[in-house]
Amino acid sequence: MATFEPVLLKYADDPDQHWIDTYLRHGGYQALEKALREHTPEDVVGMVRSANLRGRGGAYFPTGVKWGFLPDDGNPRFLCANADESEPGTFANRAIMDNDPHQLIEGCLISAYACQINTVYIYIRGEFSFSYRRLEQALAEARERGYVGRNILGSGFDCEVWVHRGAGAYICGEETALLESLEGNRPQPRLRPPFPAVKGVFSLPTVINNVETISCVTHIVNYGADWFAGIGAPDAPGPKLYCLSGHVNRPGLYELPMGTPLRELIYEHGQGMREDRAVKAIIPGGASAQLLTADDLDVTLDPGAIMAKGSILGTGGVMVMDETTCIVRANLNTVRFFANESCGKCTPCREGTRWMVDVLARIEGGGGRTEDVELLLDVCDKINGKSFCLLGDVATWGLSSGIQKFREDYDRHVTEKRCFAAVQPTMAA
Amino acid sequence: MLSEETRERILGYLPRYRTKRAAILPALWAAQDEVGWLNTEAYEEVGELLDMHPTDVAAIASFYYMFHKQPMGQYVIEVCNNLSCELQGASEMLEHLRQELGIQDGQTTEGGQFTLRHQECPCYCEFAPVMQVNTETYGNLTPERINRILTDLRAGRPALDGVVHGPDSAALAAKVPLNGQGGDDGGAG
Repeated sequence: MATFEPVLLKYADDPDQHWIDTYLRHGGYQALEKALREHTPEDVVGMVRSANLRGRGGAYFPTGVKWGFLPDDGNPRFLCANADESEPGTFANRAIMDNDPHQLIEGCLISAYACQINTVYIYIRGEFSFSYRRLEQALAEARERGYVGRNILGSGFDCEVWVHRGAGAYICGEETALLESLEGNRPQPRLRPPFPAVKGVFSLPTVINNVETISCVTHIVNYGADWFAGIGAPDAPGPKLYCLSGHVNRPGLYELPMGTPLRELIYEHGQGMREDRAVKAIIPGGASAQLLTADDLDVTLDPGAIMAKGSILGTGGVMVMDETTCIVRANLNTVRFFANESCGKCTPCREGTRWMVDVLARIEGGGGRTEDVELLLDVCDKINGKSFCLLGDVATWGLSSGIQKFREDYDRHVTEKRCFAAVQPTMAA
Repeated sequence: MLSEETRERILGYLPRYRTKRAAILPALWAAQDEVGWLNTEAYEEVGELLDMHPTDVAAIASFYYMFHKQPMGQYVIEVCNNLSCELQGASEMLEHLRQELGIQDGQTTEGGQFTLRHQECPCYCEFAPVMQVNTETYGNLTPERINRILTDLRAGRPALDGVVHGPDSAALAAKVPLNGQGGDDGGAG
């Protein structure tokens, strides 16, 4: 198999890449210049559309189509870069911002030009102090060199970029909650429609794109839509950042063509399982995703193929669990996360996730009753599809798939009245 | 009482947004940077600057985990216990810290040097298990590494063992303030 040359992480290991001079030496801001001088905004939208770039935040909605929803009403428009990366098991956006912040800034500027936007907010989670500082430093350089601000490169295009720092709330990654947070309200999701493209921040048309998505735009302008569309899975092409963590020998961020086999990610790039243990379960797309089993190792990591296996590619946060893992404990871990992060707006999520934690903790602690497993499935059913936003739904997905695929783990807890995991979570080497 | 400098910093955020209240997150960060936590006075003064009722300000602040509603220790140690970290022994790390510091989650050591709490996934999973100390992130933790970090912090030295961003982080922290403010933000590096 030919080695894939990274696109987004090409210079990520260069310790000077975050400085504008190094970025420029590596061809940085050429795409912006090209877009401003050679292309109309419509051209750029067309390129992104024919590249079939799909949103890396987890929905994989075509970015160019999303941009096309902006109404032509003469109102000011906004771009929000969603840098509130908070999905457990995910760390791709952080890597871009830490090591190559100008790549995101250039992508923001090109996207803003394409959508005729003059104000960009990069909404970054509060825990990313280092990324925040790298971004601010990079923005100061970019402003000084005339890439950000008024009349960029003499083109007449004005664009200001602000970094807006969150303060610890997973729900702000949900795009309408992000808008509420940005406006200074309690960040609870909004009803859609109207969609943000029509009525977003300050009730004005707004595009919200993920950091990895925006970063791809630069390369599409540089190398063309056909080049991008030819990489990896035809349905959702392009380079993809896979975040590998859990019981593998070499956890890390791997940039590979969309549709790389799961087995290749774990056994080649991740150098296999720690202590050569067998794979028990895989979460392929962050804590929101349904569990896969060792039988699914040959699935390719693209949205369609993962969906056919009953899960989601989500953020590409691949968490691998070996044969010693207790699935009840793993499910309890992620459900507890969602219960803590529920915004409280709707009853199924606010109340239901707490119930799931209580019952799961009872089973894991050895006090589970025979009817508890069915009770959990019933609670899942009463939340899934009945919550105001996706947070409630996804809180059930890992659990219900865990019960379905690893029922024996649950039944043994209930009958033996204890957790039987052969090895408790082990220490890092 | 917020200083004149902090008040000016907050007013300086306003041109970035179309409404005053949109500046509430940077404003609360600025207030917390100065006071160390958000008290009633901070809510009142931020409210006054942004034309918001203090109760409204408190209602926003209360949503966010990183805004402190009580005084915190000099070093706030936050241990991730989400799945990727848990698979690598996060619970043991947390228990080790409880033993070493003699406090439970959410508590502060006598004398106010350390506060311990768990945090939700900070998205550093490739370094699991991880913890953050103020604005610094530490990875691939072991009890021994935690001990070395605590020893350095207790001695008033920068703790560099296991620091994810290396010495870069301290240099950057000295140069680029969080939230556009000047001076030290209390980074542990």
